[in-house]
Amino acid sequence: MASRKKVLLKVIILGDSGVGKTSLMNQYVNKKFSNQYKATIGADFLTKEVMVDDRLVTMQIWDTAGQERFQSLGVAFYRGADCCVLVYDVNNAKSFETLDSWRDEFLVQASPRDPENFPFVVLGNKIDMEESKRMVSQKRAMTWCQSKGNIPYFETSAKEAINVETAFQTIAKNALQQEAESDLRYDNFPDPIKLDNESNNNNDGICLC
Amino acid sequence: MDEEYDVIVLGTGLTECILSGLLSVEGKKVLHMDRNDYYGGESASLNLTQLYRKFRPNQEPPKELGADRDFNIDLIPKFMMANGELVNILTHTEVTRYLEFKQISGSFVYRDEKISKVPASEMEAVRSPLMGLFEKRRAKKFFEYMQNWREDDPSTHKGFDINTGTMAELYEKFSLEPGTQDFIGHAMALHLDESYLERYARESYERIILYFTSVARYGKSPYIYPLYGLGELPQGFARLSAIYGGTYMLDKKVDEIVYDASGRVIGVRSDDEIAKTKQVIGDPSYFPTKARKVGKVVRAICFLKSPIPNTDDADSVQLIIPQNQVNRKHGLVLAIVSTIVETDNPENEIEPGLKLLGPIVDKFVAVSDLEEPIEDGTKDNVFISRSYDATSHFGTVCDDVKDIYRRVTGKNLVLKQRAKTEDENTS
Repeated sequence: MASRKKVLLKVIILGDSGVGKTSLMNQYVNKKFSNQYKATIGADFLTKEVMVDDRLVTMQIWDTAGQERFQSLGVAFYRGADCCVLVYDVNNAKSFETLDSWRDEFLVQASPRDPENFPFVVLGNKIDMEESKRMVSQKRAMTWCQSKGNIPYFETSAKEAINVETAFQTIAKNALQQEAESDLRYDNFPDPIKLDNESNNNNDGICLC
Repeated sequence: MDEEYDVIVLGTGLTECILSGLLSVEGKKVLHMDRNDYYGGESASLNLTQLYRKFRPNQEPPKELGADRDFNIDLIPKFMMANGELVNILTHTEVTRYLEFKQISGSFVYRDEKISKVPASEMEAVRSPLMGLFEKRRAKKFFEYMQNWREDDPSTHKGFDINTGTMAELYEKFSLEPGTQDFIGHAMALHLDESYLERYARESYERIILYFTSVARYGKSPYIYPLYGLGELPQGFARLSAIYGGTYMLDKKVDEIVYDASGRVIGVRSDDEIAKTKQVIGDPSYFPTKARKVGKVVRAICFLKSPIPNTDDADSVQLIIPQNQVNRKHGLVLAIVSTIVETDNPENEIEPGLKLLGPIVDKFVAVSDLEEPIEDGTKDNVFISRSYDATSHFGTVCDDVKDIYRRVTGKNLVLKQRAKTEDENTS
């Protein structure tokens, strides 16, 4: 069988400030959790190689870098996403209610060719807190997910590493499927150039004469 | 936003975003605001809906033009020199990791009512119709001189000092014809007018060498361009700034710049909120009384059904019309014609450019003021950028960035490699 090209999947994580987007990424990629909340500083994107159905793919998970705080994520952030992860805090009703507008915002900004079938995954985070604090029931969340075209739903804890691995497996799988479909149907730009420090710099031997 | 910042940046044009990014990386606390709900200000790339909203607010874009996602229309067209200063800033700050680029297929120049490719290689120079046989030999000698010139080796100077001799004198030394001077001066050294002829040759020497080293980088032309439009550039630097703690607010009104009794800036007001700050940076549109008009640029954005005639059907081109030569894009091709306005009828001035495009399906014309700050910011701590000029590349933008950086921080910009954060794993 011919070797297939290397696959890079772009995954973006959306949701209100403080729901644990950066923590989820960090738990999944670095197996680390810090209780100290800092509005995202320093997180850019994390990459992880994952096996999906016997296929090795590189998942690039993009953090909002805090630009979600005042709805100031530019169109470049959304561009080319293969899967969109929506996160809310199960102990914060408002963070659940804004999922609708995050989803709409994504569909407008990323404008995927097939919005009906674009893969979203919803994560209800911080289930490690005591039950009395919980504001959004599993049932309510699942009803919403079903109404939006059966979005896969996971309840997670970035702190206790509950369900994080499983959720990201699904994210990777759905992102790969999306990537494969959009690749089949649409021509991408031929030979884009990536600039970096070492590449292509053959400065010697220029001669026009 | 009721907090205290080191710097508040107003407007998300490229100049402002680069500065915001550089200052955040250095640990400054930055608040970055824009009155628009998109990044880029005057240097944004718009989709169809945004383009119509700006130029024809009462009209819907026609369905047959296609979907929004297929359009990223630059309000101000520029290309990047592959070896230029902007690429340098991009690679050092690693903003490159957010961007992909495309190579521009060719650079063309208008001469004697014909379009010819500016040679990008030895082969092209030999075949170029721009020069006759004897002129080619003279030009060859000229380019050899340029490329062999070494500061510390006087034998390569051949008795001419580029630091004290003018470009006109250097052309004369090689007996180059006026037409050859035109394409070297405008299409390679990328000068806007003829004044460079009377300045020292060193300036043009450096520009011509930049042209050559940029061509050498990817081959077909010296130019590269972000795959999804120039609007990607400010967004990349904004992300850099955000990652280092910069706060972003789009769609935010700026009602007042607040000063103390001595006229020094102390804050920015939006409705009833005031963000305190020590310094403010912004584009001229936020400071109507602190900037002055220095000229106008007219730009026409055109939709065409086919590539520009006489350019070998290239999918992307730059076409330069030297001052002397005018006596003054899926089934759709996008062309932008621009020039510095010199008369009361700007649209007439771009007519020679429009004619070269072949049939035009639709055209959006804008005349914008070129503005520059009246003062340098030492008195009031307000640092204003210059408007984007009619040059086809980013040299002047980078100069402005460095100049403002020096005035804001009191030191020269030294580009350093971005440090890896602790959490970042290697990819």
